[in-house]
Amino acid sequence: MRAGQLSRDAFRVLLTGSGLRVKTGPFNLSIRTRLPQLIDQLYRMYAHYSLMGEAEIAEFHVRVISRCSIRRPFARLIQFEVDGRSPFPPVPAEQALATLEWGINLAIAMRINHLLLFHSAAVERNGHVLLLPAWPGSGKTTLCTALIHRGYRLFSDEFGLMDPQSGAFFPLPRLMPLKNRSIEVIRDYLPEAVLGPEIPGTLKGTVAHVRPPQESIRRTDETAQSRWIVFPKWSTGAALQLEPLPRSEAFLLLASNAFNYELLGETAFNAVTHLVRNCECRKLVYSDFDSVLAALDALTDMPADMN
Amino acid sequence: MIEFKTGLRAEHHRLLLEAIIQPASLIGYDNRQWELLLRLARRAQLSGYLAARLEREGLLDNIPIRAANLLRSGLIQARKQQQSVRWELNRVRWALDDSDMPVIVLKGMAYLLQDLPNAAGRMFADLDLLVSKENLRRVEAALLKKGWQHHALTDYDERYYREWSHEIPALVHPERSIEVDVHHTLSSPLGKLKIDPQSFREAAIEVKEAGCYVLSPEDMVLHCAVNLFQNNELADDLRHLVDFSELLLFFSNRQPLFRQKLIGRANQLGLGKPLFYGLYFSRLLLRSAIPDGLEKQLDRRPGRIAQCVMHYCVPLALLPQHPDYPARRAKYARMWLYWRSHWLRMPLYRLLPHLAYKFYLSVLPARTEISKQK
Repeated sequence: MRAGQLSRDAFRVLLTGSGLRVKTGPFNLSIRTRLPQLIDQLYRMYAHYSLMGEAEIAEFHVRVISRCSIRRPFARLIQFEVDGRSPFPPVPAEQALATLEWGINLAIAMRINHLLLFHSAAVERNGHVLLLPAWPGSGKTTLCTALIHRGYRLFSDEFGLMDPQSGAFFPLPRLMPLKNRSIEVIRDYLPEAVLGPEIPGTLKGTVAHVRPPQESIRRTDETAQSRWIVFPKWSTGAALQLEPLPRSEAFLLLASNAFNYELLGETAFNAVTHLVRNCECRKLVYSDFDSVLAALDALTDMPADMN
Repeated sequence: MIEFKTGLRAEHHRLLLEAIIQPASLIGYDNRQWELLLRLARRAQLSGYLAARLEREGLLDNIPIRAANLLRSGLIQARKQQQSVRWELNRVRWALDDSDMPVIVLKGMAYLLQDLPNAAGRMFADLDLLVSKENLRRVEAALLKKGWQHHALTDYDERYYREWSHEIPALVHPERSIEVDVHHTLSSPLGKLKIDPQSFREAAIEVKEAGCYVLSPEDMVLHCAVNLFQNNELADDLRHLVDFSELLLFFSNRQPLFRQKLIGRANQLGLGKPLFYGLYFSRLLLRSAIPDGLEKQLDRRPGRIAQCVMHYCVPLALLPQHPDYPARRAKYARMWLYWRSHWLRMPLYRLLPHLAYKFYLSVLPARTEISKQK
């Protein structure tokens, strides 16, 4: 059963009571909150996620609560908690959704080490994963949003989750935070994209989340091997460039950009070595969606005999 | 011992304790029990330890996959931390290489150096060292010269460490994240319990390949008890009781007279009280096989009322709270033990201003930051 099939009341009862338990990729989340505004936003943005029963283990237990502050007695503040601990200071109540999403990402990044966590967007086409690793600010979420509305299946805009033994990538389709100018760009280019509220004043400026397509969430258990690694960079007015990248360089960029590469040590080294050997590696500079979509389609098109 | 109820009635306490006492019992846990256990083990920083025990017994593949994944994640993290602390010790040895100042390694890294059973999967992020008070300045100067730095401290904290504490402010090398805590004694010099660090240093044992020393087995067990029942505030500190009980079991199995030597050493050093509590709570919570009358041989034991209060409060503090339903009585027990730990560490004329200052910081953190910037 999907969260969106619950009545709004039943949805609220879960969030305010024992917890809304949803499956996102390989992890189960339990979310609790009593904030009416956040409940409304989640009812819309989490509609496609499958509900999990109490009989399945949830890895992450998070909560968003309202907080009073002696220093700011009249401000409406909220705090994010994971297992009763607060990794962030309180923030204004309007930022509840953004804080919840970042908090869950942080918990995943801090706790999960049985998988290698690349800091990378990942999408799938023709049965294989296209990795888009990049530093913050390079536009990977924006590009990822465009791709998943043009025939690619969303794995994640933030985490490339790889099993270091088998090399399989796991989908983790979560809300994707567009920042500042990207919000308008996506509204213009993809009117069909479902966006959450615009949340001004966060650490990263104004944020609006894209809801992952239902199809991506439905196929959340279908893993795939990676076949292409493209390092994107958005640059105003630049002509499209999609150039080969030496494997050694791809290795260093991937390894230095992973959340737990050092922690996994030799396991991670072997896994990344295997990954870059089996992928086509490219460097991408782009400024408009039409040309970049065409170029990535061409890259990920399969020869007829392989289809 | 006095029959008196503990604060231990809750299901979640039993879940965690059973897992530690008898990891094989985990095979029978259902998913709901697993979920709660995983959350408790994380809070108690025991995930790596549990994972290591399950791995040793070949059970990691016989438990639910989600639980195994989280436990493995904890174990991988613990192993990385251990590697980092081991390397930090190597660097400290390098920095002190041309000096003749012996360094005694304490706590987690000491357990690791001797490959003690509680070291497997143990999470720790600090390197704790003991040097003589005469060498303290020289060790600090040598580390500072080779690149270690102190965190930025307020004047108050600086003074607290320098005058009232048993260690100097932590040293961190900017290229690494491990804190090096250099101690000159094992408990606060202002505290009610007077410890003579020299007798600990004299009995220390050399670990040749690491170029440093560790405490003798009896002293290691005693230090573990002192640290837990004298220095710490006990909240969520179950893992230190696990250390105590594992060390005691390990050394007792290897030396038939170990327990007698331990009692003798505690009496000699005047450390009967912390050892009493260590033995008492290991037996009560972890069902350690400790002969019944053993504590009676200690010269210094807590009084009857103190025993009753500790019997009720300590389990509520050591064991983690239920993550969704924290109990109020546990909160009060923890508050009381917090006071107690400070009371043991410093005289009242120091304690009251100190707690007032900490309370002020907890209420108005931003204001002090602003005044620092000015």
